[in-house]
Amino acid sequence: MPPPGGFEAVQYKRNLPLRGPSGLAILGGVTALCAYGFYRVGKGNIEKRELQREKTWSRIHLVPLLLAEGDRDAFRRTQAALEREREIMKDVKDWEAGKSVYNNPRYRGAESIVVL
Amino acid sequence: MSTFHEGASSSQPYKDPTPLPASIPKVKEVGATSAPLKSAAFFFGAYCKEYNEDFMLCKGENRDPAHCLKEGRRVTRCATDLITKMRENCLQQFEEHWQCLELNNQEYAPCRKPERVLNKCMFEKLACFSLAYAGLVKTIPGTPAGQTPVHEVEKPFFGRMQK
Repeated sequence: MPPPGGFEAVQYKRNLPLRGPSGLAILGGVTALCAYGFYRVGKGNIEKRELQREKTWSRIHLVPLLLAEGDRDAFRRTQAALEREREIMKDVKDWEAGKSVYNNPRYRGAESIVVL
Repeated sequence: MSTFHEGASSSQPYKDPTPLPASIPKVKEVGATSAPLKSAAFFFGAYCKEYNEDFMLCKGENRDPAHCLKEGRRVTRCATDLITKMRENCLQQFEEHWQCLELNNQEYAPCRKPERVLNKCMFEKLACFSLAYAGLVKTIPGTPAGQTPVHEVEKPFFGRMQK
């Protein structure tokens, strides 16, 4: 005979705790996170390019100033060297100080310098 | 008698105390170090545009240093003039910005705060020159149209690591 109040319910369902979000949810979440990350990387690359542009232009703007200063110095040294050459070679007839070895008026920088 | 040395491998610095020939007018060199020059670079590009272009066109004609001395002097005078004006009007902002550049590897990105203050000061104080010299406003040539210039971006990706 059944006990008073009936039998206990038979447990036939598996008693497993919730295992967190489903695989699809995790996959979707990771994909979204990666997409956002790559979006940021792309934005950052654009900004990096602009920073490079800024740096380059700051240097381009300064080129004339630095070149002018360097030119004055180069001119001063060349003139001094020419003067020395003239002084050394004053006894040699028909010597032209600073005459190019090329038959071409195009400017060439000095290949070598004499360090005093 | 002097001996020949390779200029690059010399054991002593290449010094030559001979002054410029007297026929060349004297001009005082700017004498600023790299950080102040970098801080002023865009203003220099705007303020001295004509002289700079003139000088570079002249250099394009002939690379001889003797060929463009006059144009070069103009460039240097203009630069001195600009630096003097900057120091007269925005001394504190200028100093702060270039000190920041000095401390941050001379990169603009970590120094946006002092830079904006300096840009604002230059725009307000030297506005009278902006008509004549196409604006003492920092503009980066070649920035894509419709894009905020990188020095005006509100929340940049790259900046100081430490807040």
